[in-house]
Amino acid sequence: MRNGSAAENRPVLSLSKVSKRFGGVVAANEVSFNLYAGEVLGLIGPNGAGKTTLINLITGVTPADEGVITLFERDVTKLPTHTRAKLGIVRTFQHPRILDRCDVYTNLAVGADLASRRRAATRSGRQARLEQLLELAGLDEVNLRDPIDKLSYGQQKLLEVVRAMLSEPVVLLLDEPAAGLNRAEMAHIVKLISLATADKIAVLLIEHAMDLVMSICHRVTVLNFGQQITTGSPAEVQNDPQVIQAYLGGAASAAR
Amino acid sequence: MVNRQINLKNAVFAAFILALCLSVPGFTDSYMLRVFNIAWITCLCVLSNYVLLGMCGQNSFAQAGLWGVGAYITANVVMKLGLPPLVALILAGLGSGFLAFVLGFAFFRLRAYYFTFASVGLMTILNGLFMNWTPYTGGALGISNVPSFSLGSLVVKTEKANYYLIFVVCVIAYLLIKKLYNSALGRSFMAIRDNEMAANCLGINSLLTKSIAFGITGILCGVAGALYAFLSGYLSYQTFTYQQSTMYLIMLMLGGTSAPSGAVIGTMIISLLQEWVRPLQNYMQLFYGLGIVLLMIVQPEGILGGGRALYEKWLSRRKPASTVAQ
Ligand SMILES: Nc1ncnc2c1ncn2[C@@H]1O[C@H](COP(=O)(O)OP(=O)(O)OP(=O)(O)O)[C@@H](O)[C@H]1O
Ligand SMILES: [Mg+2]
Repeated sequence: MRNGSAAENRPVLSLSKVSKRFGGVVAANEVSFNLYAGEVLGLIGPNGAGKTTLINLITGVTPADEGVITLFERDVTKLPTHTRAKLGIVRTFQHPRILDRCDVYTNLAVGADLASRRRAATRSGRQARLEQLLELAGLDEVNLRDPIDKLSYGQQKLLEVVRAMLSEPVVLLLDEPAAGLNRAEMAHIVKLISLATADKIAVLLIEHAMDLVMSICHRVTVLNFGQQITTGSPAEVQNDPQVIQAYLGGAASAAR
Repeated sequence: MVNRQINLKNAVFAAFILALCLSVPGFTDSYMLRVFNIAWITCLCVLSNYVLLGMCGQNSFAQAGLWGVGAYITANVVMKLGLPPLVALILAGLGSGFLAFVLGFAFFRLRAYYFTFASVGLMTILNGLFMNWTPYTGGALGISNVPSFSLGSLVVKTEKANYYLIFVVCVIAYLLIKKLYNSALGRSFMAIRDNEMAANCLGINSLLTKSIAFGITGILCGVAGALYAFLSGYLSYQTFTYQQSTMYLIMLMLGGTSAPSGAVIGTMIISLLQEWVRPLQNYMQLFYGLGIVLLMIVQPEGILGGGRALYEKWLSRRKPASTVAQ
């Protein structure tokens, strides 16, 4: 993954002491990390740890209270959501946000439209790219003119990832893409993420399925009550007692 | 192969509808033809409602006001500036469109349905202007003797000539809206309608995009206003009213908001119905009210939605084997 030239060692996305409070709840407490091209950074933590909030802060859906977010050293902290998307920060949602009165084709095309709007070079021609992504997502049998609600929940989640990737993102933020998916669908998610890294996209992956996190993340950062506990390789994080304590709570201590 | 068959079927159907519409002047007297002319002008405004509400999910009650803006611009440009009618028609579209676009920027800053409230305010203000801004609108007396449309030596004077002019403009507008539907801009309207946050995260600027949708509404209504000025020759503030805006909405609801053909169907049914049941005029409001309430309960997708449901039922009955096979 990330070795070699100095250019490659420059982070794509960088968070520096980013904080967000909701009333008394500290959803993000001075969170800092770098995200590099072609890597998958896992973001894990118990329910309510502030993982989704972090993606909302990066995309500008919720404004940050403090801290700086940069994309290629450009400060994007104050930019509106649509501008950040046009710079290449693209996300999926924990609960799929599809265009529910549109057909499958339109749902995908809005992703490709973003690529055109930001004049991103399409890696292999629009149609070829679409076919490739649909095949990886296991959606190649779907009739593009079908209304979107003909797709299953899992297919809709996969479609969201395809839509995001059609926009040719620089940074791809995935909020629990595999939650609620069956084994076969999960395998498609893995294939899509692999393609993203091969294409040098910087991927931030929120995920509860630990086997998935352990197998595809290059690094993992752990969040608890908005606080970053640790960052490291999957193996390091897995064995960190602090993480076991936070993530599994009382159950882990009791088991020991 | 199947696709080609469907395309052929659609083409034959479109040709039939087109022929039917073009033959209208052949079997109507001039009174009925006037009814049709007004109906097609109304259709432009209802189509504009389709773009704004059906595609972009934003509801406005200012369409009749924008229609009036187009009409008064036309009268002033032709009668005061002495410019050719075609120029007036274009300026009416652009003027009304620009006004809507700029006001859109102000109104859409307001959250959600406050846009609708603002549009009601705009309608009221515009109607007040039409009634009181005498130098440009003729005040309560209105403007009389607006010349007919002409292009060089070709004068569109008769009811029949007006019919073709208005109908051609409607067809052009309809085709452009179809094109819009399949464009990135059209998709950004629909993305905002269906999921604004997802739209923003896909690089769509809500404020700008909604304002463009309202601007397109303004253009369509403005052109409709110009056609009305040429056709009727007389403009009165009593024409461009809030009630008229409500009518556009009822027509769209009746036809269905899922495709531009809904706007056409709804407009035609109500416009013609109004004529045929003229003796019952006093009860019409009641009928509309009851009709719309019933429609929303029984078939919220309007006639288009009802038609589609019937068609699907018929398909599934025709090929029960394939349903079982699945
Ligand atoms: N818009 C908001 N307004 C108020 N509180 C919020 C808002 N968004 C999140 N929170 C709070 O911030 C905290 C973090 O929520 P967040 O959704 O980021 O957690 P999460 O790590 O994504 O959890 P999960 O694994 O359940 O998805 C929670 O306590 C939540 O209630
Ligand atoms: Mg979450």
